[in-house]
Amino acid sequence: MTEELRVTVDRRGNGAVLYTRGYINNVGGEEIANRAYELMDDGVTTLLLNLRETKIVNSIGISILIEIIEKMMERGGKIAFCCLTPVIQKTFQIMGLAQFSTIYPDEDTAKCELPLA
Amino acid sequence: MLSAEKFNHFLRDVEALGRGALRGENPLTSQAEVILSAFVRHTGAAGGAVYMHRDTPAGYQLVVKSDLITAPDTFDGPVPLDVVDRSIDDSAVILCPLSAAMTPHADTLVPIRQSKEHFGLIALARHREEGVPDLELLRAASNYVGALISNQRMATEVKEGEFQLKYRLWELESLYDIGLSIASTLNLEQLSDEILIRTLSLLNTRSAALFLRRDKRFFLHRAFGEVRNEFLDDEINADQSARIAAGEVLQFDSGADCIFPGCHSLIAIPIQSERGVIGVLAAADRELREGGIGPFTQNDVRLLSQFGTQVAIALENSRLHREALSKQEMQRELEVAATIQRDILPRSLPQIPGFELATISRPARQLGGDYHAFFERDGVLSICVADVAGKSVPAAILVSAFHAAIQLLMDEGRDLGEIATELNRHIHKWSAENKFITLVLASIDREAGIVRYVNAGHNPPYLVFDGKAHALQSHGLPIGLMARSRYSVQTARFPAGALLAVYSDGISEAENPDDDEFGSERLQQMLVDHDAAPCPAIAERIAQAVEDFAAGLSQKDDQTMILVRTQA
Repeated sequence: MTEELRVTVDRRGNGAVLYTRGYINNVGGEEIANRAYELMDDGVTTLLLNLRETKIVNSIGISILIEIIEKMMERGGKIAFCCLTPVIQKTFQIMGLAQFSTIYPDEDTAKCELPLA
Repeated sequence: MLSAEKFNHFLRDVEALGRGALRGENPLTSQAEVILSAFVRHTGAAGGAVYMHRDTPAGYQLVVKSDLITAPDTFDGPVPLDVVDRSIDDSAVILCPLSAAMTPHADTLVPIRQSKEHFGLIALARHREEGVPDLELLRAASNYVGALISNQRMATEVKEGEFQLKYRLWELESLYDIGLSIASTLNLEQLSDEILIRTLSLLNTRSAALFLRRDKRFFLHRAFGEVRNEFLDDEINADQSARIAAGEVLQFDSGADCIFPGCHSLIAIPIQSERGVIGVLAAADRELREGGIGPFTQNDVRLLSQFGTQVAIALENSRLHREALSKQEMQRELEVAATIQRDILPRSLPQIPGFELATISRPARQLGGDYHAFFERDGVLSICVADVAGKSVPAAILVSAFHAAIQLLMDEGRDLGEIATELNRHIHKWSAENKFITLVLASIDREAGIVRYVNAGHNPPYLVFDGKAHALQSHGLPIGLMARSRYSVQTARFPAGALLAVYSDGISEAENPDDDEFGSERLQQMLVDHDAAPCPAIAERIAQAVEDFAAGLSQKDDQTMILVRTQA
């Protein structure tokens, strides 16, 4: 299991895909938030978070993800997630993230529906 | 009279507060800046400062001030309940220590409050030449800002409450899911990962480790985060070791530096099954929502203990599953070995003119240590009954080796004594020290009416004729016992119609529930009594008699017998 969270970005016009690898906790969540806010400030309005290599999320990580979603919504943008483990997907549903973001099974499906050309 | 137009202008200026859009790095400062700017602008004040109430001894803390104003960082009240201005009520202004502490002194104090709750204070200093500010506007603005802040705080509390509610639901769901998930994971490695993932997310910790019991120590099986030692016992003292082994929870609230190098808070719970404490689940550094690390709460201890109960069940299931798989695998291997051994033993009796034959072959287990074989060469029938010391797999392996050797040697048509001597040398060389084989090798020459035999430490075969059972006594050590043993052939008369019974001790030493043995005398008597019957019938009666004698007691040793009668 990977411990420290690593984020890589694939910028696509006004959109971007964020790939996370590792534990989304307080530290990991802040790392994602920093990258997401940088992208938003740079004009990104569609953000897809690919969590394929993330197996663990704690409640603090979730609260940070909610803040990112709120911030993007205030700007009229959209956040989506893909490649969630069943445990993380259920967690997102219970904690309400699924109400304000779209969850796709895989990146290809997400790219078909989101403006990530 | 409040001017609607002025108030509308003021509302436009504080519109950003109503939208709740001030979410920068420091939302409170942004809010205070908007408030101060609106109040200064609409009162024509020279400047001012905004203080917000804190639950600290200092009371009110400076959040923002105009550049021209000098103001203390904190003050502890009292603050007026209503808007006060020096020109109207100088004493009310002076009563608040802030007014004199500011430079220039504050002329107008505007409390920010809602009902009995005080949120803060706006202190304004006006230009000397200016007159009395519009107090009605200030009151309306003060009420409006108080209501806005109150609403925002309520919204935040509702949001936080909703989050906590969802989080509790998630905890409950997690505990339920964990039960299902880990109970269906039988692979120990996958199960361990699942346990650590759930521990980390359930308790918001940065590290977690699973230790499993090996004899009296707990060794590290899986960890998330750097772990200092392979054994838990090396990280805690003897008293703590004893306590956790007795099922007690260990908790360190700060400066733990235990298990995980440099960790602050740590909790370690015993994983208890019916076999006692089978492992320890440790988690360290519980993250706080406001940032940093905090101590574990009683709720954390309760959650992890509940989780530990499910982990214990899952680990036990996994262990039992592994054991069952191992047994299944062993059973499959035994079945293969049993098939091989069955192929070693004769599948049917050879049809040799002038000889009537019958056998009893009943292994006590899947794999037997008894062996028998028939050989025919130029009308002479040779038989072998052998008994390998020991049982099951080790005995079966030696039976296989013995089978290969005797088949090769008998094919060469050598003297039985030479064959036994060669077998002894071969088995002694290649088998374990305590392994040996007793055997009877016999060749019956019907034409000559004699039997040549070698008895290497085996039960004496019986040759039955003239109403008597004649024993063919052993005259050599068991095969494989001594490297230099040599065997010579013995000869005995074998009259036409005589019956030869060669058997293993599983028959003569079969026991009943009273620990009595079937015995060689009873066997001899049966052979004599049923001498007139065909060989298969005699074999059947002896087998039945042995079984009846055992009276349901399970067979302890392999049972083998060859019956040979020559026909006239």
